[in-house]
Formats: sequence, C-alpha cells, structure tokens
Amino acid sequence: MLGDSRKAQEVFHATLREAAQRAAHGELPSEPFWLFREARWRCLEATKNDLQPEAVEIDEHDLGVAAASQIERLDPAQLAIWISAAPDPQRSALALFYLDEFDYRDILDLAELKLNELSRLLARGRRQLQAWLDAKFPQPDQA
Amino acid sequence: MKLLSLMRRRRALLNCAPIRADQSVERSMRAAISRVDGSADFISQQNFDRAVARVVRLIPIPAESAEWFSEKDLVPASQGTWKKMMRNPAVLAISIAVAVIAGVFVFNFLSHLNDFPASATARKLLGTAASTRPVMLDPVNAEAGTLSDLFFMKHGLEHYDVPAEFADFGTIGCRVFEDDESRRIAQIWVAEKHMQFFLFPAERDGKTGAVLRFPGWRYVHQEGWTGAVTEHSGVCFMAAIRGRDKDLEPYIARSKE
Repeated sequence: MLGDSRKAQEVFHATLREAAQRAAHGELPSEPFWLFREARWRCLEATKNDLQPEAVEIDEHDLGVAAASQIERLDPAQLAIWISAAPDPQRSALALFYLDEFDYRDILDLAELKLNELSRLLARGRRQLQAWLDAKFPQPDQA
Repeated sequence: MKLLSLMRRRRALLNCAPIRADQSVERSMRAAISRVDGSADFISQQNFDRAVARVVRLIPIPAESAEWFSEKDLVPASQGTWKKMMRNPAVLAISIAVAVIAGVFVFNFLSHLNDFPASATARKLLGTAASTRPVMLDPVNAEAGTLSDLFFMKHGLEHYDVPAEFADFGTIGCRVFEDDESRRIAQIWVAEKHMQFFLFPAERDGKTGAVLRFPGWRYVHQEGWTGAVTEHSGVCFMAAIRGRDKDLEPYIARSKE
C-alpha cells in the first residue's frame, strides 16, 4: 500500500497501538476486518500529502503467455512500489487481492467497493502490469 | 437484459476469482469458474495472478513488524468457516430439526412440570366444562355446600363435599355422570362468574389402592379454562372458570385468611 517499509512500519505500529488501546477499554469492534480497514485508512492518510502520481494514461497490454516468467524476474520491492504507485482505490484492490488472504467479498467490504468496480480495477491492473512487464522485460517477438 | 446482466456479473466474478485453487468460494463464484474452467483466457489470468501473488509474498516486511505475524494467518479462519458452515443447507436443516425437537421436549417438560395426581382427569373435565350447556344439568337453586347431602342420598356418593371456600355460592344446576373410565363425576354450575365445580374420585396407587394425595390447591389449564383442584378424603374437588389463575386466586386466598 505504501511502497516504503519505514512508513508501513509506522502505520502498522499505530494500528496496533489503536487496537491495544481499544482492547484496554473493552471497545474492540466486533466486525472481523476492522483492523485491516483501520490500517488501510492510515495508509491512505499517510500518502495523502506525498507527491501524487500524475494522472496519465498508462499503457495496457493483453496478458501474455510469458507473463509468469516475466513476473518471476521482478524484484519484489519493485512490484511493491508499482502497486503503491497506483491511485486509490486501485491500489487497495491490487494490494488486498494479491495479498491472497481475502475472499473477494472481504475485499469489497474492506475497500468499500462494488463487485463491478473491483472487477474493473483488477482487470485494468493486470493489463497495466503486463504493459509494464513488457516494457521492463521485452519479449523477443516484441523486441 | 437479464441475460446480459448475468453475463456481466459472471465476467466481474471471474476477474475476482481466487488465486489459489484450494480456496473455498461461494456458489456464484464456483458456477462462474466452472463455466470457463479450461479456457485459455482464464488459465492465463490464473497463472498471472499466481505469479504476482508469489512475488508479493516475497516483498520484504520489516523484521520488527514481521515478528508480530510469526506463523499465524493474517485472517482468523474460524469466523468465516463458522458462517459458511451455518449457511450450509444441510447444517441449517439439521439445526432447525434439532431446535424443533428440543422445543417439543421443553414444551412437554414445562407442560408436565406442575402435574399432580388427578391432573389428567382434571384437564379432561375442563374440556367437559367448556362444552357443557345449562340445559344439560338438573336445575337446583341452593348453596353449593348443601349438595353433598343430595349426592350422598340420591347417588350414594360419599365425601363429595364442596370445600368451604366455595360452599356458599348459589347453584344453577347439577348432575352426576360417568366418565369414560366409569368414574362417577358430580358437576355443579354456580351463578358466581359462571363457575363450574367438579367432584371426582382421587387417583389411586395401581398396586396398593392407596389414594394419591397432594397438599393444597393445584392449577390446571385447558382450552382457555383454568381449574383449581384440591383433594380431601379420597375425593377431588375442582373449581373451573373460563380465565386464568388470577380469576380463581381470590377465592382460594380467602380461605387461607
């Protein structure tokens, strides 16, 4: 969500502190994902005053047959930065989806999205990521 | 239009299809996946997602934060599993069946909680009270307490005495009849709140023949009628009224005073 481990750690600790304080007062919400919702809002808050990416048209490519091998060559930190650079709510959708811990209904709930919105954000995210991969690791036929 | 929207929804679900094949999914997602399972586009999407998820798992987490997670799952699985289990039609059906059976047991238990010897007969007689019409009784204009002589002299019924609490009520009619077990029942209709009195033999022990006694007054209920029953000298007396316990309580409380 942040593409910056220092900021991520601050958000993580602030969220846990909030949880501990609420627990001490017996005010822990009963909804299952409140901690993740809280963390997401803190992430969005943390990046509100950062430099925002320009609203430019990003290339989109169809998923290629060699996509998996291109992805394997990616540095995980680079992927984290690529996802964190996406505008919200696409950033939340991609981060929560590829964390692979949540059911799509959980993501709808957490990111306050509708099914068609989440679907569109993920589909576009895949195509944009593919375009980035193609630019980063050109395939022989594309080169 | 409906078909179009259904197809759009399926397409939307497929875009959100779970990354892991072993991940449990709800029915609409399962149906959407089964329709395209094996298609090149969907396989390509799944391979893409799995590859991305593998790299995401490698994204370094600061050690200080990582130790909070240790080996545990990010999301507690029990809540979702429990909800999903409760939504399972088979579990739901069994739960409802168990609840109904438990309800019947509780109902029976509560119904028989206040049972006493002669309560079954008393309930039957409340049914009789509900169906009795004044013309079915011999007209008698007297005090209820004086009818014990009539029952003894005319029908040979001993100890068919109306308790003191109800003895001074004016009667409209009375009769003696046999129930389905050939027990002789005396029925008195009084003017007071259209109450009916019943006198009938107390229950006896099947082996010894001893009267099964019970102390004080006991209440029975049937079809909107309430009866207050007491036993004396092997004969039960029941005052029956269309209403509730509180309609009879003042008369019984009066005797205690």
